[in-house]
Amino acid sequence: MAAPSAECENLLRQHLANPFLVLGLEPDASRDELERQGAKLLAMLAAGVRRAAAYSTPRGRRDRTPEMVRAALAELRDPARRLLHEWWAQGLAGQSPGAGTPRS
Amino acid sequence: MHVGIDLGTTNSVLATFDGTTLSVVPNAVGEVLTPSVVRIDARGAELVGRRAFRFLETDPANTRGEFKRLMGTEEPLRFEASGQTFLPQQLSAKVLISLLADAEAVLGYRPAAVVVSTPALFELPQNHATMKAGKLAGLAEVTLIQEPIASAIAAGWRADAEGFWLVYDLGGGTLDVSLLETREGWLRVVDHGGDNFLGGKDFDNALTDWAVARLAEATGLPALSRTNPAHRRPLSKLKAACEQAKIDLSRLDRTSIVCAEVFNGPDGIPVDADLPVTRAELEGLVAPLIERSLDVCRTVLEKNRLGVDAVGRVVFVGGPTLMPALRERVGGFFGGRVAEGIDPMTIVARGAALYAATVGLEARPAEPVAPTGVVVRVEHPAVTADTEPFVVGRFLPDKGEKMPIGVRIEREDGGFESGVVEVSEEGAFVIQLLLERHRQNRFRLSAWGPGRREVELRSPDFAIVHGVSIADPPLARSVGVARSDNSVLVYFEKGTPLPARRTAVHKTVQRVPAGSSEDALAIPVVQGEFSRAHLNRLIGSLQIRGGRLKKNLPAGSRVEVTLQLDRSGQLHARADLPEVGESFEDVVHVLVPTSTPEVLEKELEVTQRRVADVRRRGFSSGKPALVRTMKGAADLLAEARAGLEAARGGDADAAARVHRLLLDLNGALEQAETELDWPTLDSEASDAIEVSLSWIQEFGTPAERQLCESALNDVAEARLARDSAALDRHVRVLRSLSHAAYVRNPRSAFNSFEWYQTHVSEATDPRQAQSLVEQGRKIAKKGDSEALRQINRQLGELFPGSAEDRRRSFGSGVR
Repeated sequence: MAAPSAECENLLRQHLANPFLVLGLEPDASRDELERQGAKLLAMLAAGVRRAAAYSTPRGRRDRTPEMVRAALAELRDPARRLLHEWWAQGLAGQSPGAGTPRS
Repeated sequence: MHVGIDLGTTNSVLATFDGTTLSVVPNAVGEVLTPSVVRIDARGAELVGRRAFRFLETDPANTRGEFKRLMGTEEPLRFEASGQTFLPQQLSAKVLISLLADAEAVLGYRPAAVVVSTPALFELPQNHATMKAGKLAGLAEVTLIQEPIASAIAAGWRADAEGFWLVYDLGGGTLDVSLLETREGWLRVVDHGGDNFLGGKDFDNALTDWAVARLAEATGLPALSRTNPAHRRPLSKLKAACEQAKIDLSRLDRTSIVCAEVFNGPDGIPVDADLPVTRAELEGLVAPLIERSLDVCRTVLEKNRLGVDAVGRVVFVGGPTLMPALRERVGGFFGGRVAEGIDPMTIVARGAALYAATVGLEARPAEPVAPTGVVVRVEHPAVTADTEPFVVGRFLPDKGEKMPIGVRIEREDGGFESGVVEVSEEGAFVIQLLLERHRQNRFRLSAWGPGRREVELRSPDFAIVHGVSIADPPLARSVGVARSDNSVLVYFEKGTPLPARRTAVHKTVQRVPAGSSEDALAIPVVQGEFSRAHLNRLIGSLQIRGGRLKKNLPAGSRVEVTLQLDRSGQLHARADLPEVGESFEDVVHVLVPTSTPEVLEKELEVTQRRVADVRRRGFSSGKPALVRTMKGAADLLAEARAGLEAARGGDADAAARVHRLLLDLNGALEQAETELDWPTLDSEASDAIEVSLSWIQEFGTPAERQLCESALNDVAEARLARDSAALDRHVRVLRSLSHAAYVRNPRSAFNSFEWYQTHVSEATDPRQAQSLVEQGRKIAKKGDSEALRQINRQLGELFPGSAEDRRRSFGSGVR
């Protein structure tokens, strides 16, 4: 099969950086949970805690960076953007081999 | 202690924040505003601030002000008597040095790390120059923040009420309007808009033009003209008198514009000005400008689907907002809900100091730490709205030191104690704290080793302020890579929180021979909101130089480009070439263009023709809204024409202003033209949907089908909003998905090959294309679709977009 075009690969990368995946939270997480989880992950990444440095996706584990956590928080603070990400996260959770189990 | 600096065009301010109190530091003469003016006399002696300001009118050849407007350019600013020249950033550094010396007198030490504010309209080259100014001033660390965001932070950090705020920031040359929201203890900048061509200067110019006309009437002499270089000095004197009259009219009903010896009459006798002016006359002159500023407020609110009533409070920032007529009209527009007790002249510096606290930028130079004890790295928010935040720590013992196994945190006032928490194998711990509301909370960390023996720590104390949490500053304009077909791959959308980092994949469109010093492949980085690259501003370029390659880089090679913007919006870029195993990080930073009047004249002519064309098409297609927009464009053209004349008279600032005005105008024209093309675009979208659906349904993967569904929603939304740019963007996503699905069709390789066969003459290298076509024919005869796909891929690399597109995309070598 042909290798994916750069365009498709870029789309997939963007898709796997879904804010809920990055934060390791379910789409029904409250605003307080998001903020607290974001702050906790940022602190863990800054302290160099290993388990914070990757997150699970339907395509395996991917690197988590402070920039991704900040971007995820900003996206989910905007109610309209959050709705879109919730929809996507629900779709992605269906694909995940570990769907239904909590992510770390 | 945290320090923020408003490095202003006219005045600069330094503020401090100690975790509880915000203060503005007075300068050596006891004022909080330090004029951003530098004077150098014949002996090379320097004066900065108020003492230099006194020479601005009397000795302009050796005194410089308003150099902030030229930041990011290489415009040398000469001091005649000493013969010295300085770049704008070097003069800004002198102002910073003066402010830091004032701070040292108050604090007892010279701040080493500060936040400096820059205008929202500053692009990367100007921000880069501001960072350089900080370094030249001896600062170890400089973080930038946009002025409207700093104002928003200062206005909202103690917000007791939740809801929307509007910051109305009218500076000398620009208007920034920021919409912010306080919700659940979080302060967030929702959006901002502005007018880069509306500021206090325009108010002064309106009064100066009026005074010029009155003076001509009174004397019977020809009016002074901005286009005449000989009139620069008298105009400047008259303008200073007008500025003073404007200030006087803030508290008086009438005054006079008084200026001695404005110019010499034809008989050589000096002409004085003494022109009575009333507050009502001034208000009449500036009323259209105030209305223009309200249009910006309306646009920001409409974009966010908010009515005027939704704005809980409006905050005024900047000297021009002290004008009573402005406060009355703008305040009245918002139902009189004006935030009281905020000093519009120092609010930006205060916000910058608060931001320094938020990002944990400590101004005091680091002191040597106690030499004994285990190092522990404690990470926590400096300021937070959360009363139960997490703190994360990690022990980093030296060789011979034991890793602690337990840790405990106590609040200084005894109101909280965590109990003993186990330390992980890598020496990490996570503890949830409890904060006392609205104050600084101090904590102490204790650790134990085996046998509950207490372990000495090097820095066990830390503090957290409970207050409004401030969201990361948003990026003012989108940043992306220009591709060879003149499209843009957006890496960071406008509003992305900083710092930000993203990697994306591109393919090269030209061959770069190894060792060749002449060949280079450009990856242009652009900033702006347009899908066509040439309409955006080029801010940097990553260069893959043949001279540094160890192997030839064939066309079609994969390039992984990583763009990184730090908290100040500074660009870092890297290109990884996995096929040759090399990386490039040479970003050529672009300077703000300083266009000559001749170039600007040509650009203006082209823009005028475009405006006329769009107006004509607007009339004939029955789009009155568009015709109205173009009426606004005509006003801007007139402004550009006037600016051009001033640029011819030697005003470098006017040239930069005209350049920016034309760039914005062409952006608006692009949108208007797309609006006119809406029926075509809409019908193209329908075709794209039809084709995509059929391919994706037949050959797409489940993920592609999901993506397709999302893209269809986006297309529907864009159609509903008649948003041409969004429709264009989403249709492109749909096409790329459709393409991905299409290639799974066994016949697709043969169809694509047929297209290449018929268009072979259009390839960048027709000979190579012809040779590939011949190979392809043989393969097609055998029916080997996979091998034919490989040929198509190679052929595809020879069709990177037209030569014209490539030129317009700043010579991009990737797609």
